[in-house]
Amino acid sequence: MMNTLHSQHSLYRSVVFRSLTDDQIARLHEASLEIMARTGMRFYDQEALDLFKKAGADVSDGNLVRIPPHLVEWALRTVPKSITIYDRDGRRAMALGGYRSYFGVGSDCKYIYGPYTGERRQAVLDDVVNGVHLVDALPNLDFVMSMFMPADVPVETYERHQMEVMLRESHKPIVFVGLEAASTVDAVGMAMAVAGGLESLQRYPFVINYVNPTSAFKHDQEGVQRLLFAAERNLPTIYVPVDYRGMTAPVTIAGAMALSNAGQLAGLVLSQLKREGSPFIWGAAGGSTLDMRSMVASYAAPDRGLFGCDLAHHYGVPIFGTAGCSDAKVFDAQAAAEAAVSLFANVVAGVNLIHDIGYLDCATTGSLELVVFCDEFIGWIRRYLQGQLEISEETLALDLIHEVGPDGNFLETGHTLRHCREDWLPNLLDRRDYNNWVAAGATTLQERANQRVREILETHRPKPLPDEVQRQVKAITQHADAEARRTA
Amino acid sequence: MADILQKIASKLYQGEEEEVAELVQQVLDQGMDPQEILSGGLIAGMDEVGRDFKAGDLFVPEVLIAARAMHAGMNVLRPLLAESDVPTAGRYLIGTVKGDLHDIGKNLVKMMLEGAGFETIDLGADTKPDAFVDAVREHQPKIVGMSALLTTTMVNMKTTIEALEEAGLRHTVKIMVGGAPVTEAFAEEIGADAYASDAASAVEVARSLVA
Repeated sequence: MMNTLHSQHSLYRSVVFRSLTDDQIARLHEASLEIMARTGMRFYDQEALDLFKKAGADVSDGNLVRIPPHLVEWALRTVPKSITIYDRDGRRAMALGGYRSYFGVGSDCKYIYGPYTGERRQAVLDDVVNGVHLVDALPNLDFVMSMFMPADVPVETYERHQMEVMLRESHKPIVFVGLEAASTVDAVGMAMAVAGGLESLQRYPFVINYVNPTSAFKHDQEGVQRLLFAAERNLPTIYVPVDYRGMTAPVTIAGAMALSNAGQLAGLVLSQLKREGSPFIWGAAGGSTLDMRSMVASYAAPDRGLFGCDLAHHYGVPIFGTAGCSDAKVFDAQAAAEAAVSLFANVVAGVNLIHDIGYLDCATTGSLELVVFCDEFIGWIRRYLQGQLEISEETLALDLIHEVGPDGNFLETGHTLRHCREDWLPNLLDRRDYNNWVAAGATTLQERANQRVREILETHRPKPLPDEVQRQVKAITQHADAEARRTA
Repeated sequence: MADILQKIASKLYQGEEEEVAELVQQVLDQGMDPQEILSGGLIAGMDEVGRDFKAGDLFVPEVLIAARAMHAGMNVLRPLLAESDVPTAGRYLIGTVKGDLHDIGKNLVKMMLEGAGFETIDLGADTKPDAFVDAVREHQPKIVGMSALLTTTMVNMKTTIEALEEAGLRHTVKIMVGGAPVTEAFAEEIGADAYASDAASAVEVARSLVA
């Protein structure tokens, strides 16, 4: 074999995808700064108002905060540009930042298609357990969320039950939601019990606090307190104001982006005022799409694109996005297409935390089968994007080509034997010829996905938490339950 | 004359509120019966709006602006009509309960109700039980709708119902509840009359309550 040394290599490892020009990014950023300084936004929390006032923001009309641009620029300098998230056992699990993508399910679907009945019914705590087991077992999913809102535990404390299950039933990092500040205090308390104290949780954070303030204009007290609580402890928060184009924000994408970005920048400033350098994760700004025929909020509309992702990359902060979900009512061809395309789009845009995998019916119903399908498809995308072309003597195989020539074949060569296992192979997607497919039961993708869900639920047993830790975690849930009964 | 009624209906459909009010005044001045203007112009226009909305041809903002044009025409006609002739699907009092700032769902329901012909009175977000009671006394709605997003505030739905009971007004209204953590079972538990899971079904539930 020739021994050639090449200089001047250029190697493209991935698709390059950007949707905003530098000029557009600058214009949107200026627009957000103008909204913050001119119109202002309301913060329904005294500590937040005090922090803003002390830093020189203009607070008027009780709780209307106008934030000067220099505070935003300061906060953008102090916020960490990348965040390492660990698993429950303290191993590195996600290096959030840059164009690295990690995947997880969503939270709080009210309904599920039962894996054994196929029937759509209200979700219960056992479904939360099943969802967590699935994520724990699937190789391409990186973080856990609750998936379901359980109907069989007290409504005042269901978030504690979800957190307990997520900590107990998976070793993967957790993104937890909380509508109330008190449930976040408990969630962090449980995580501390698992980590063995606050210091160790801070050193190896494996839980992420996900806050949805009311809107870019209105930052509700519970949401703000949850942000401040985590920032004080140097724990990461995803802060995504809930805006709907045409409702709480302009219907045009640029205006909605400028406004929702302003809401995120305001949250960023607050987090840095509470604790300089505390980790903060962006949402893909732009406001959700309402279907103007029905006012249904779509989870798979193409309109907003991933413009917000370019903004976050410009700021250099980790970004959280939504994909692998669908507006379809059942796991059908629409669901598979919307889930697959949105996953691909999010990955090439460089979204770091991709959540809501498995959502159907605009986030009303969770499908374990769709989760399994997405895991498979993430494998497809991983292979497609990592499939850099290696050009070498071995891979070009010019000597072999010459030896085999027009009259031979490559099947029986050592070269083929050496490399024949390098291609990505599907697990759920079917490639058999027709007769073999029939012989194997003539199953559809939906049936195979359901089969895979059942196999995992029946066989996968996550690594258990030590008994004593389980007891400490459970005690927090039990305490909250008792409190709820007492005040009922 | 029939041409003008046709024109009123079509201007209403386009959401031209000033023109609708002017045209209604114009036919009144010409001596047309208010009842005829109502049914041949305004209601005919809204019927067309309703049909096209259902078919997906009209969008919600377009329905709302048509409803606004309907109101402009009604403001001219109302003094001349008997109370019983004023068309409304019903008066609907709506608000997000005490302690809760989340009003997106509530606003959606309100818009959909207006599009469906309900007259709405919006108490906004963070509405205290007393404010519901006062508004029920003042406006005498057929339905009271309450919204909550937080598990900590949904209990205020119950408090509000109790306040209405205490004020002796509970039996005068039907009560509907909704919001992410709210369920059918919770609605039943706190003594509400109905639960709706989203804005579109809220309209259907409201219709069935006043039917």
